[in-house]
Amino acid sequence: MKLHYDPATEAFRAELRAWLDENRPTRGAMESEPSRSSAHIPDWSRAWQQRLFDAGWLVPGWPPELGGRSATPVQQLVYFEEMARIPVQRSYNPQGLTIIVPSLRDFGSDAQQERFVVPSLRAEVSWCLGMSEPGAGSDLAGLQTRADLRGDRFVVDGQKVWTSGAAHADWCFCFVRTNPDVPKHRGISVLLIDMQSQGVDVRPMAELTDRERADFNEVFFDGVEVPRENLVGEIDRGWPMATGSLAHERGMLWTSQAARLEHLVAELCAAARERGLDADPVFRERLAALHVDAQALKFMGYRGFARFARGEASPEHSVLKLLGSEVEQRLALEATEALGTEALDVEFAGFGLGVEESPPWARRYLFSFANTIAGGTSEIQRNIIAQRVLGLPRR
Amino acid sequence: MEFELTPDQEQLRDAVREVLDVESPPEAARRVAETGQPAAEPWASAVRLGWPAISVPEAQGGLGLGMEELGLVFEELGAHLAPGPFLATLGLFAPLVREAGSPAQRERWLAPLAAGELRAAAAPLPGALWARPEGDGWRLRGEARFVLDGGDAEELAVVARLEAGDGLGLFVAPASAVRAESVEALDPSRPLAHLFFDDVALPADRALGAAGGAADAVARARDEALVAVSMETVGVCRTLFEITLEHAKQRHQFGVPIGSFQAVQHKCADMFVALEKARATGWFAMMCIAEDDPRRGIASAMAKAAAGACQRLVCKEGIQIHGGMGFTWESDVHLYVKRAKTGDLLLGSAREHRARIGELLLGVA
Repeated sequence: MKLHYDPATEAFRAELRAWLDENRPTRGAMESEPSRSSAHIPDWSRAWQQRLFDAGWLVPGWPPELGGRSATPVQQLVYFEEMARIPVQRSYNPQGLTIIVPSLRDFGSDAQQERFVVPSLRAEVSWCLGMSEPGAGSDLAGLQTRADLRGDRFVVDGQKVWTSGAAHADWCFCFVRTNPDVPKHRGISVLLIDMQSQGVDVRPMAELTDRERADFNEVFFDGVEVPRENLVGEIDRGWPMATGSLAHERGMLWTSQAARLEHLVAELCAAARERGLDADPVFRERLAALHVDAQALKFMGYRGFARFARGEASPEHSVLKLLGSEVEQRLALEATEALGTEALDVEFAGFGLGVEESPPWARRYLFSFANTIAGGTSEIQRNIIAQRVLGLPRR
Repeated sequence: MEFELTPDQEQLRDAVREVLDVESPPEAARRVAETGQPAAEPWASAVRLGWPAISVPEAQGGLGLGMEELGLVFEELGAHLAPGPFLATLGLFAPLVREAGSPAQRERWLAPLAAGELRAAAAPLPGALWARPEGDGWRLRGEARFVLDGGDAEELAVVARLEAGDGLGLFVAPASAVRAESVEALDPSRPLAHLFFDDVALPADRALGAAGGAADAVARARDEALVAVSMETVGVCRTLFEITLEHAKQRHQFGVPIGSFQAVQHKCADMFVALEKARATGWFAMMCIAEDDPRRGIASAMAKAAAGACQRLVCKEGIQIHGGMGFTWESDVHLYVKRAKTGDLLLGSAREHRARIGELLLGVA
């Protein structure tokens, strides 16, 4: 056990930090064209992602030709620690970088890899992920969007929902039913669908926090033709990619989650001092409970990482996802209640750290459900922990 | 941060676990609880294997290992409900003498402790005990309440407030000079006593550190004590959780294991998360103390708070999931629950430590 890394690892950190200071986009550039969804890549963010790629800082664990530098696991962890410290994301199409590209590398044909991997890493192609449907949320394997193979093409009919970034994405990594006559997990395939295809209709769904903001969409497929070569992996064998892609998604998310929670606790402390809440022992105790949980999340992440670096399976993903999203929600709620009527003003500029970093707490509370629902609800995470980690029987 | 045990640490933990599997089954704690008689094992085996020497400096015949190793041992002791003087001697008494004692005082008390020849106890937090200088020595009056093993020890390390000024003094008093009154304790396998000091005279060589200047050493020893009891509580909760999980898998109702019901599954998932949180927080505090990091104070308070939150959930759901059996004396569940509750309430409950963490975060007091 060690609190600090060795000098070589710290030198790696220093090199990265210097590079980031030199190369990260300016505040002015970022404000000139804010990203409007998880697949909207403004020019400044494309240029930034390409700088990361060219310098081997986009996915450090991968080889140089894929935007990396074959970094060790500990170096990768240091990388994520540092990236969590800056107010810029690596990619403004995160599902493309962290879910779809790794899935294509694992399951895609040579031609698909050739066509999509490097362009996606260089932010020249953006992606959405077609998973949930009106009748298939937590029960994802119940999805009904049909894809019938007719000659050299599939014909797709159906509907996706909660599809992040679909209004801006070039392509959809889409889970479809290719065989309705077998148990539900065994008739699912993955198609790469050009979002410009005839018959694709995207309808944005504004979020509860803001009528003007819509990352989610409904996506309708009406007789959409998809070339057979856009099938990923084998027909009817798409389900492992659903579980695999979520694992990619959860991989090292805890580093940014832990950093965000630390930041929020610091903001809440600043807010409390400004308002005189620091004199309230009830508030102090609740703040402390949140701080302990936020720190515990980080420590658990490091423990899981130690197992991962040793090559052991780590059950941490579900635990960290569950804990992180619920602590963030409690934090926003605690702050909202502590502020009292002040919290009703959702234009309220926030405290200390500037408007952009401090959306109003009540709004943040509402937004916190994005994380307790998306990517597998908290209830599904508890099921996974109970069944896959603790070995309790399924019904 | 590297949350990874060294091969030596893993070996130590596994060795301790193997010995305790044999020498400290739950029946040992039950026997102490039912008869009130102290258990010879697993303490005798621990002495034979040198565990009391783990965190005693090498100069006093110890192994000179630190809080990381001690924390791992305490998790195993808790997981096995080990009866005996482990926490009182190794977790509470030893750090006070090590942090504040002169070389001669360390030799006097830690050398026999490392050899397993000294039964000691400690009241490591300031309370209603007062000290005043008299001649070359000291006089102590007042009381120390709820002292673990306080009625069974030969030597008692106690923190006293100075009657003049606001300093703290640290003393080792012989049990013969103090009146002990045993408490009917929630956990009968964990003896507690109130100690009464009726103007007890102590010579100068029983005062540790500079007169009235013990606050630093007391705080440092308190960090260690908090982490020891936290890790013990984590261990207790670990086993209570394991037997509860096993019960959920074995017990059938409506033709299926009760562990197949989502209501039970979600309780188990939450218990698991609480346990992982408490252990990871404990490990961080172990590292902070081992490396003497400035965060050791808040880290040990966090460890105690997380262990307390863990036992709160694991005890409640542990009894509840066991159903009627969990309500009986015959089941082992109550042995774990009582040990874990005691762990939370000793040295300040989770609630008190959260209050302290809140003050530290907000810069109050």
